[in-house]
Amino acid sequence: MLTAEQNEELTQVAAGTPMGELLRRYWYPVAFTRELEEFPVRPARLLGEDFAVFKTPRGRYGMLPEACPHRRASLAYGVVEADGLRCPYHGWLFGTDGTCLDQPAEREETNFRDRVRAVAGQVQELGGLIWAYIGPSPAPELPRFDVFVMDGVRDIGWTDLPCNFVQIMENAVDPHHTEWLHGRFFEFMARHQGFDAPPSFGKKHVKVGFDAFEWGIIKRRVVEGASEEDDDWKIGHPLVFPYNMRVGGANIEQMQIRVPVDRTTTRFMLYTVHAPVGVEYPEQPSVPDYQIPVFDENGRHRVDYVEGQDMMAWVTQGPITDRTVEHLGRSDVGVTMLRRMFKEQMARVSRGEDPLGVYRDFRDRIDLPCEKNKFDAGGSFAIQFIERASSRFSPQADALKKLHIKAHENRKAAAG
Amino acid sequence: MTAARSGARPGNGVTAGGDVGRGWFPLDAERHRRDAPRYCPGCAAALSLTDGGDGLVCEYWAGPDRVFVCFCGACGWSGDIVLAARVLGHEAAE
Repeated sequence: MLTAEQNEELTQVAAGTPMGELLRRYWYPVAFTRELEEFPVRPARLLGEDFAVFKTPRGRYGMLPEACPHRRASLAYGVVEADGLRCPYHGWLFGTDGTCLDQPAEREETNFRDRVRAVAGQVQELGGLIWAYIGPSPAPELPRFDVFVMDGVRDIGWTDLPCNFVQIMENAVDPHHTEWLHGRFFEFMARHQGFDAPPSFGKKHVKVGFDAFEWGIIKRRVVEGASEEDDDWKIGHPLVFPYNMRVGGANIEQMQIRVPVDRTTTRFMLYTVHAPVGVEYPEQPSVPDYQIPVFDENGRHRVDYVEGQDMMAWVTQGPITDRTVEHLGRSDVGVTMLRRMFKEQMARVSRGEDPLGVYRDFRDRIDLPCEKNKFDAGGSFAIQFIERASSRFSPQADALKKLHIKAHENRKAAAG
Repeated sequence: MTAARSGARPGNGVTAGGDVGRGWFPLDAERHRRDAPRYCPGCAAALSLTDGGDGLVCEYWAGPDRVFVCFCGACGWSGDIVLAARVLGHEAAE
């Protein structure tokens, strides 16, 4: 339980608020790479602010506030030129750093141009995503987490959810929900709707544990029939502070990304890399992305797949969970740990320090701890995952299943 | 300790916000406001935002005990404060 004031502070994203200032210390994906290949400028909303993100013909990326500093028309309808983005209304041109380069209707001899600047974000491309940083300079390094740089077949499911991102992140430190939401509830729905629920999600939790580490919180579990020697406990998987969760198992590696678009909208992305050993991966000219369903035709939540169940649990809490009337128990200690971590990191930012997960020395690849043998389910987890999780909506779902089966057969043949 | 504290007068000098009286469990919300630690055990700075502090107090229940997870934004102290229903010693070694 929190007071209303604490809940208010925890769920803010606006500049000038402690949480908003903390969140502005990180890079966020704001577009798919392929979107700017198809058309070089588009709108993007991040932390309650509107931007125009663009790619110049020379291949440079930029992001400017959507409203032109001149007369506030949208730069998301701008003209992309070699040096930057030109406003469609009166032709003012801005460079990728926000410098005003041209004011066609103004007299040349004035210094008016030098007095105008669009506050620019910094932009980079990585792993099929366009990433933006809108915090104070100098920007930290964009973390090159393993899933974004590893070999394999990529696949991104996504949707926009009408709720605050913190209640989604609290789910990432809540192992017990798995056996109920993806176990008992899944079986209940399967019985009534006539499909098979994956058996591995329903295993009873014997023990859960949480450890703070340099990128966030490692979540551990022992399920019935397994022990502390198994991956789920020995390795676990991390909440990557402040808005990601790294999961995986059976040669599927995934980053669950929860971008705070604004206070009550979260872009949920499932960035997945299928990387089974023993098979050659096909070329991917661009990373396929696809929207996953949240509601059915009657406006009810789709709960016949794993992430659909999660989204139901997040969204039905309301746009912002009212934590003044919640009842946390001992099984929620991960949630209390995360709230404390948010508060600790707000305090660091207010002291002028870098918060957790902000780093400034380039690293080519950052490997995150993540279990391989998920829920003690062995190799069958990959097919269960594709059939009963968001990947089932992927345009390449069948090809992905064949990839895993082929790799399994190859490994078996190689082992003799 | 919980039983003794729960007999205290509502409010008890603590500012009650708009959340009290709302929701399904208004009594718990009121108790939370009344019983949550207000000052840091390390530096005595206020923990509550309403008292001008910069800390966090998050309550969870562990059986009959009420546990307040605390963080002080002034000195960085962090720890759990427990309103324990019973205090038990360990069993004697065989």
